[in-house]
Amino acid sequence: MKTPAFLLAALCLGVCARAADLPSLWAERVKCTVAVEYVTQTELERRPTIAYGTVVDAQGTIILPSAAIDLRISPKQIRDFKVYVPGDPEGTPAEYLGRDALTGWHFVRASAAVRGRLVPVTAFAAPGSPTEVALAQEVWGIGIRNKEEDFTPYILQSHVALVQSLPQRTAISQQEVAGPGLPVFDTAGRFVGLAASSFGQTFLEFSGSDRGGSPVMLVNIEESSAFLVAAEVLPYISRTPKNVFGRPLAWLGAYGLEPMDREVAAFLKLESQSGAVVSEVLEGSPAEKAGLKAHDIILGVDGKPLPRFKPDRVVVDYLDRLIAAHVPGDTMTLTVLRGSSRMDLRAALDEEPRLVREANRNYFERIGFTAREFVYGDAIARHSKTSDLRGVVAHLVKPNSPADIAGLRPDDWIKEIDGAEVKDFDSAQARLTAIEADLQRTETVFLVGRGGDTAVLRIKLR
Amino acid sequence: MSSGFERLLDSVVRIDVREMNFDDGARRIDASIGSGVILSQDGLILTNAHVAGPKAVEINVTLSNLERVGARLIGWDHWTDLALIRLNLDDVKRRGLAFKHADFGDSDKLYVGQTVFAVGTPHGLTRTVTRGIISNNNRYFEDTEGVDGYETGNFNTWLQTDAAINPGNSGGPLVTDDGKVVGITSRAYLGANNLGFAIPSVTAKRIVAGLVHDGSITRSYTGIVPKALQDLEGFYDVATNTGMLVDSVEAGSPAAYAGLRAGDVILTIEGKKLDGRFPEELPPIQNMIASEPVGTSLAVTYKRGSREESVSLVTARLESRMGEEWVSDTWGVGVRKISRAYARENQLTDDTGVLVIGVQRGFPAEVAGLARGDIITRINDSPVASLEVMRAIDSAYSAKPAPTLLEVQRERRVSLVVLKP
Repeated sequence: MKTPAFLLAALCLGVCARAADLPSLWAERVKCTVAVEYVTQTELERRPTIAYGTVVDAQGTIILPSAAIDLRISPKQIRDFKVYVPGDPEGTPAEYLGRDALTGWHFVRASAAVRGRLVPVTAFAAPGSPTEVALAQEVWGIGIRNKEEDFTPYILQSHVALVQSLPQRTAISQQEVAGPGLPVFDTAGRFVGLAASSFGQTFLEFSGSDRGGSPVMLVNIEESSAFLVAAEVLPYISRTPKNVFGRPLAWLGAYGLEPMDREVAAFLKLESQSGAVVSEVLEGSPAEKAGLKAHDIILGVDGKPLPRFKPDRVVVDYLDRLIAAHVPGDTMTLTVLRGSSRMDLRAALDEEPRLVREANRNYFERIGFTAREFVYGDAIARHSKTSDLRGVVAHLVKPNSPADIAGLRPDDWIKEIDGAEVKDFDSAQARLTAIEADLQRTETVFLVGRGGDTAVLRIKLR
Repeated sequence: MSSGFERLLDSVVRIDVREMNFDDGARRIDASIGSGVILSQDGLILTNAHVAGPKAVEINVTLSNLERVGARLIGWDHWTDLALIRLNLDDVKRRGLAFKHADFGDSDKLYVGQTVFAVGTPHGLTRTVTRGIISNNNRYFEDTEGVDGYETGNFNTWLQTDAAINPGNSGGPLVTDDGKVVGITSRAYLGANNLGFAIPSVTAKRIVAGLVHDGSITRSYTGIVPKALQDLEGFYDVATNTGMLVDSVEAGSPAAYAGLRAGDVILTIEGKKLDGRFPEELPPIQNMIASEPVGTSLAVTYKRGSREESVSLVTARLESRMGEEWVSDTWGVGVRKISRAYARENQLTDDTGVLVIGVQRGFPAEVAGLARGDIITRINDSPVASLEVMRAIDSAYSAKPAPTLLEVQRERRVSLVVLKP
């Protein structure tokens, strides 16, 4: 059969046009990507970190993936944020806005000076509601080289191999398709997703028998082959936190959720859905007030059964996200299975208790350790009453310092200083400051809790 | 060579032990070699607890004349790392075998620098004698997992010697030149040059008497964890060589119940003044308390802050953190009962449950996702309060296999698994 000439011409035109377009598509779209540098300043060191981000609005708001900043570090210890336009070694100052609990993204705002060179990723969004990428679809994305190479941008191309619910819709491509936190586009230049960070570490736990295990694997931290599809990104880009701690944070207080696997579901005749076993119900939490009990199995939320995921473990993230999507004061109805009876419990979510990264802390140079406020999570970790938060925690112990030599260890719970009980952080701070100021002093004695035991430590100061 | 020493050489034996272990999730027999010394003509042999313990399923003794005779365990005491076995005397008589026995010397009379000999079977080399001196006659050494996972060293100090001690010497005697047993060699620092340790004969004599009598040593427990007061006398305002510092009080223990707290300085127990200034002084004090009959009410005076106070505490029975072990052949899982001490150490709510110590590949337990370190707290509707609960369910399962629901705790996380035929 003869192919009509006009059809051939059209085909050729299509292919040629697309190929010719990519450089110009690239040139525009690279403007929605940046490198972000910040410094973690601890008592003992100053450590720079580089992450990649995507510009989401005209105010210069940038989102960084969750893993870009270690959650255990206090926001007070991260500083000197700088934004680099790809290819330009000169950075401009930026402001850290905090982390959004639902998406996990960190928000950073570029200074006005550089905003003119940035274009928000929304400019490349498909009109209307975004359609999900299809299997085998060709996609491309942007990678950024390191600081020594002036953050030079480069292109990555691949095809979609698989789309999974983890629990967010996540496309997995055949090869690396973008730097983590950087956008992915289709051949027409439409935004189709945002590359996930540390894909291997977070999601490649498909081993059914290896509960909670962390298999060692090679992970390319500079490029990612998985991306959240556009529908999991665009509706959330305006969730700029109100403060660096990301408060308000909705809190239920059901601790240690463990997925119900398929065999257990079948045993309990719940084949069509999934569930999560509650390991502990935290003291004073909304879950406790709602009547949730340890070992209950959560089967549904707000009348909807928990869907089945592959792997089973994803249901835990799904539940966490359901909670994080709320604000304190909202109510959630939990359908739970207790023994053989099923019941509905209404929980009024509360504000999450003060977190470790929000806790007050102070470094005592002469003794050689950082005392940190004892918060709710510390009591939970130590199987202790949360209604009575006393003492301080040794957050950091300087190597070879008097505290280290005396045997103080990070996470020790300092209950008494020189025989007097430590009531709270302020009184500990006052006492430790006085001890350090007294240059005649030869020793101080701590009583610390460690595991279920205690130890008396004599710290020699001279 | 003295006649005593010659006689001693004829009383030292090689001990071959085959023991049953469950930590693969299956029955596994392990073989090991140790040494021992014959104590009497009725065939009692003293050795280490880490040579012959309750896991032993077969014990063979090689006499000095190279004849081999079976033996059985009389009792063991991991706290002092001593065990007592007895030769199969019927076999000895039937075969017309002869052996000699050794006598104890007084370890309290040893002086540092005194020449001593270690006799035993290092690496299976029968009748090896090494020579050294007493390097220290009052060495403090504790190890919470020192004897196959069991605690050791809390109630005795050790003799330290530079006589070469190698694996296989364990359980053999440390003797003076007249052939008197002053210690039982037990351990050595690996990678060090001749830092060996032996249980002193004063301790061994006491333990032997107890094991012969009861097959085990019963001790009193208070829950006081002591610490040497050294350098802290000024802080606690007590005279030098006075009192024993409480470093920790174990939760739920008699001491906790009596209201003792960390930081208290115990001055007297039953009117007896304590001196816990140096670490070496702690095991004798601990032993004094432990030697009281279980359930004794002890009068304790202590100093808290500037006040002196007194309290009486009723001792409980001392238990090891290691519970009984068992293996389910049907499920392919080796387990160990959670002891109260283990529960306390790991801050578990109570001692319900069994700890998984091994799973066998491809068996129901492994397929369901159980792993070493998990605690099985409930099977179907029954809390696992004892090994018997699990044994009963296991035999019911063997007779009629059906899916079985297990509640499992790992760290603090609770999950459910189903074992399927």
